[in-house]
Amino acid sequence: MSTAHASALEAPATSRVKGYWKEYNSSVFSLLVFLLIWELVCRLGFISRFQLVPPSEVIVVMIEKFWTAPPDGATLFTHIAASMTLALVGFCAAVVVGVPLGLLMGWYKPVMVLVRPLFDAVRPIPPIAWIPLAILWLGIGIEAKAFIIWLAAFVPCVINSYIGIKLTNPVLIRVARIYGASNWETFIKIGVPSAVPMIFTGLKLSLNAAWTTLVAAELLAASEGLGYMIQMGRRLARPDIIIVGMLTIGFTGALMSYVLTKIESRIASSRRL
Amino acid sequence: MANAAAANLKEKIGAVFSFVIFLALWQVASMAVGSEALPSPADVVAKAQEMYTSQIGGKSMWMHIYYSLRRVVGAYLLAAVTGIPLGIAMGWNVKFRKIANPIFELLRPIPPIAWIPIAILWLGIGEGPKIFICYVGAFVIFVMNTYTGMRYTDHLLIDAARTFGATRRQQLFNVAIPASLPSIFAGVQNAMSMAWMCVLAAELVGAREGVGFIIIQGMDLNNSPMIIVGMITIGLIGLFLAVSLRYLEKLLCPWRRELQ
Amino acid sequence: MTNQQLSENYHRGKEVKVSVTDLTKKYDDLLVLNDISFNIYKGEFLCIVGPTGCGKTTFLNCLSRFIPTTRGDILVDGQPADPTHHDMAFVFQEVSTIPWLSVEDNIRFGLKVKRRPPDEVERRTEQMLELVGLKKFRSYFPRQLSASMEQRVVIARNFALNPDILLMDEPYGQLDLKLRYYLEDELIRIWQEIGCTVLFITHNIEEAVYLAQRVLVLGQKPATIKEEIIVDLPRPRNFADPAFVKIRDHVTDAIRWW
Repeated sequence: MSTAHASALEAPATSRVKGYWKEYNSSVFSLLVFLLIWELVCRLGFISRFQLVPPSEVIVVMIEKFWTAPPDGATLFTHIAASMTLALVGFCAAVVVGVPLGLLMGWYKPVMVLVRPLFDAVRPIPPIAWIPLAILWLGIGIEAKAFIIWLAAFVPCVINSYIGIKLTNPVLIRVARIYGASNWETFIKIGVPSAVPMIFTGLKLSLNAAWTTLVAAELLAASEGLGYMIQMGRRLARPDIIIVGMLTIGFTGALMSYVLTKIESRIASSRRL
Repeated sequence: MANAAAANLKEKIGAVFSFVIFLALWQVASMAVGSEALPSPADVVAKAQEMYTSQIGGKSMWMHIYYSLRRVVGAYLLAAVTGIPLGIAMGWNVKFRKIANPIFELLRPIPPIAWIPIAILWLGIGEGPKIFICYVGAFVIFVMNTYTGMRYTDHLLIDAARTFGATRRQQLFNVAIPASLPSIFAGVQNAMSMAWMCVLAAELVGAREGVGFIIIQGMDLNNSPMIIVGMITIGLIGLFLAVSLRYLEKLLCPWRRELQ
Repeated sequence: MTNQQLSENYHRGKEVKVSVTDLTKKYDDLLVLNDISFNIYKGEFLCIVGPTGCGKTTFLNCLSRFIPTTRGDILVDGQPADPTHHDMAFVFQEVSTIPWLSVEDNIRFGLKVKRRPPDEVERRTEQMLELVGLKKFRSYFPRQLSASMEQRVVIARNFALNPDILLMDEPYGQLDLKLRYYLEDELIRIWQEIGCTVLFITHNIEEAVYLAQRVLVLGQKPATIKEEIIVDLPRPRNFADPAFVKIRDHVTDAIRWW
């Protein structure tokens, strides 16, 4: 709303670059001040270098981490690849199981009646609380982590698919039924397509949950990955490594969400929804 | 109406049935893989009885729960009193938004759990890092929801207030904030479940008390019944927190319609 | 000609398409439809009018087997009505275009569910696109269309089946007056071209008299058939025509319950 108002008041004559600058100059300024304060706090010795290092050093370490393995045992790229593989495997497995389950729950009453109570009973337990049991069962290898991530991503997939198909316009169901479509055909041709937007919302939440949980799992049991990297940074009292790891975690997570949003808008525009 | 009652009854029977099947499967699985790896439901009940009457790591189970709750509630309240005003300020004042948003946007994608190592580095291994992690988790959600609520306030409402000659201050306190309450309250729920998850994560990584400590202790002792009792406790507390917040919301925000 | 004679003439020698006998519907103790019996003839345009809330929609839902009847038979060509067997079509009060299908896919939808052979699907779709004048908009999505175009898509989708019976449940109730007149004329034109059996339900008396060959008046709850009125006016009909007004007043009197 307010952006529309603002842009309407903006003079059309200003060039694009100038407009951008006007829009963002205070943002750039605020970031610079933030970094400057950080730098000064460290340089002036208000804080020990075992707790925080100045941003200039963080940048240097980040660039170096692209090809150097020490002190945490792997290059940044190796960590990213390990974490992303794990997160995507867990996420995809959750989508493959969770979305159909949610859809079936929303459409077929018996499935709902049978599965819903179990689902509701397990849901309040945060996926992270499964970590000890998963490690006990599956060891500290990739299986335990994949299981935890799967669990974390599974819940939003189910819930959103369920809600999505529940919100199907009843008139459209009747349209299919009057033409003599079977319940299954109505499910496939009417129910599932109407749930698509909600399913995508669920996928985004799932991906987020998968990424968060991955970090937790890697903090506890891993020999590579971004969570392991920041944990090593703590053990070695290397705040620079931790901060590089945290920024990479944030950036990679945001990148994956962005890709998913792009896919969604591609699909939505082909259906003009 | 008789139909509705019958449907309700059917659902309840289904729920019971589903639990019975679940317990039976659990029992069978436990017999198949041995109670070492997967304790039977009876084992878990027995363990629960033991845990709630004896001490673990020098503290009773209730003390562990108390510790976790204290961390969560403390951090949660702190996040609410700082996050909501910040969100309102970011939503209301353009200049403030332009200053605060970039820093916030930079830090927001970092999951709160990723703050654990640096929090330990900064604050040691006491209460500090746990409260800090919960705070970060809840704070981001409070700010985001408040901010979104403020930004999507219907401009018509503000304009209406303006035609009545409301001052800028009145527009904020009598229109914009009440209009964004539903969004804020959505954040209230999410922030709590996020804080609860964060306290667990923090306790898993390093703690000597709390429910997260219980399950990690169970793992170290190779004691799966202990982990399961811990997990059930965690689930119940999470449920309790969610239900009490919902009750509070109904009390404070009675015009909000429930979305089933 | 008296009404009696008119009625006798009308019913003589017509082929029954749908026959409804003793249709009764109860919700628990609430009697909604009470012993309704009538025939619909092949190719007929029949309107049912009644006050709001008299059970018109329940009646249609029973007819289309969305809800089970308490008692009574509904036969189509002598067989019990069944959407999987008979070609039924339904135009709802709400606009019922399928939002993720293009105009042409919307029209194909019923034909495909009915498993008609592909060449027939294409032929009928082309014919209907032509008939409702949406050829240029074939790849548009419902969101991009105006309300009247959306209703035309729905009508095309239903007429494409060449259904045994087309049920219409106040399809123009939500539209403004000008659009309604336009779509009523369109409906009559397509009906005359395709020639299928239409059962049109409305609370609007003028609309009923304008469209129908025969009007059935339903009474208040529980709904029963109060009167049958034959409308033997030539088309296109004129609202100001004294004959039209006479029939309209007659229907209004029949519907009056106060």
